[in-house]
Amino acid sequence: MDLRKHLLEAATLIAAAVLCAVVSNGIASRERKLALVGAYPNALKVPAEAATAPLETTLPSVAPMTATATVALPAPSTAPMTATVATTTAASTAATPPPKSAPAAARPAITTTTAPAPAAADTLKRFQQHPDKAYVEIAYGGAAALHNAGALFLDARRTSAYEQGHIAGARPYSVWEADIDEKVKKLFAERSDPEQQALPIVAYCSGGECEDSHMLAQKLWGIQFNNVYVYKDGYPDWQKRGGAVRTGSTP
Amino acid sequence: MTRLTHYLTHPWLTIRVQLALGIFFVVAALPKIVDPPSFAHMVYNYRIVPGQFVNLMGLTMPWIELLCGLALILGIWKEAARTIIAAMLVVFIVAISINLARGHAIDCGCFDPNPRPKSRAERVEDMQLVVVRDIGMLLMAGQLWWASRRSAQCAARSAQ
Repeated sequence: MDLRKHLLEAATLIAAAVLCAVVSNGIASRERKLALVGAYPNALKVPAEAATAPLETTLPSVAPMTATATVALPAPSTAPMTATVATTTAASTAATPPPKSAPAAARPAITTTTAPAPAAADTLKRFQQHPDKAYVEIAYGGAAALHNAGALFLDARRTSAYEQGHIAGARPYSVWEADIDEKVKKLFAERSDPEQQALPIVAYCSGGECEDSHMLAQKLWGIQFNNVYVYKDGYPDWQKRGGAVRTGSTP
Repeated sequence: MTRLTHYLTHPWLTIRVQLALGIFFVVAALPKIVDPPSFAHMVYNYRIVPGQFVNLMGLTMPWIELLCGLALILGIWKEAARTIIAAMLVVFIVAISINLARGHAIDCGCFDPNPRPKSRAERVEDMQLVVVRDIGMLLMAGQLWWASRRSAQCAARSAQ
């Protein structure tokens, strides 16, 4: 009889907690709300450990852009299946700014701004649709070129981080907030024209181990956006290299 | 009854253990309740919970912690609260241990769902400390169980 009472109390406590959780989520602000049923296809997949690569060390992997055959070799184990493609494009996009991009970490932004800026249309032509994969990873060179060409940037970090500073023109698309699916659908409606759908979209978060941008890219791909790029070093890298930034809640 | 048993199940100790455990859980729950998306991200990082349940767990677990912690502090339904807390601690220990074993370094998200960026080595070290800490808390829950069992035995004996 004691055990029954004990279990009943425990069940009541848990039920009360669930009720509190659902009610508090119901009245939570947009940024603190969660969809009750999550949609995370990779939730059980353990990511391969990045060889604790800090931001700087990602540069050399971009540097070897001579032979495409060798590019596949240093592919970082972080990105699952897109790894090889990712480095290839990263290498090719990095070719637009001066090829001596290795010491770029030391030099700030000027690297890209001094590069002979190709016409926006030419840049966009280089970033063709890739319907067979959710996203292609790009480095700063590619991101800066796309930014100059006026591509849409989406910030996958939390809205609070977005407000503290984001890539100029980027929109807040936090994958962890409840309204993300709604935002993605809205974007799709906004770009219903097939020509607009083919325009490149860049997703980014905070670089390093952050995979929110990849998650966002998966969502965009799922709704048939076939030209999505992940700026894998993300906002810290952009900021460090002096890319244009804005603060506040508007792009 | 040995002397050690006497001290270990003494009401003086029990009430303090109960309060400490309750405070631990309330303190741990509050920042997670305030920011569910961050905590859901932490749950996701463990790579143990199926995708559909990540958000549900991120939402409800902090509230279970809060209510059980409050129950212990207030002394209401403390036995049930203690059992749930012990079960949760076992789950935490197993979850962290699985990730330690497979070399997946994560932030535990136990007290802070928005941790500062850490290196892999730092994370592994923190995870080991968390396992030790959680085992310590599990021992505290064990003490509560032992003390309540003994007091029940004493009550039964004196009733005879």
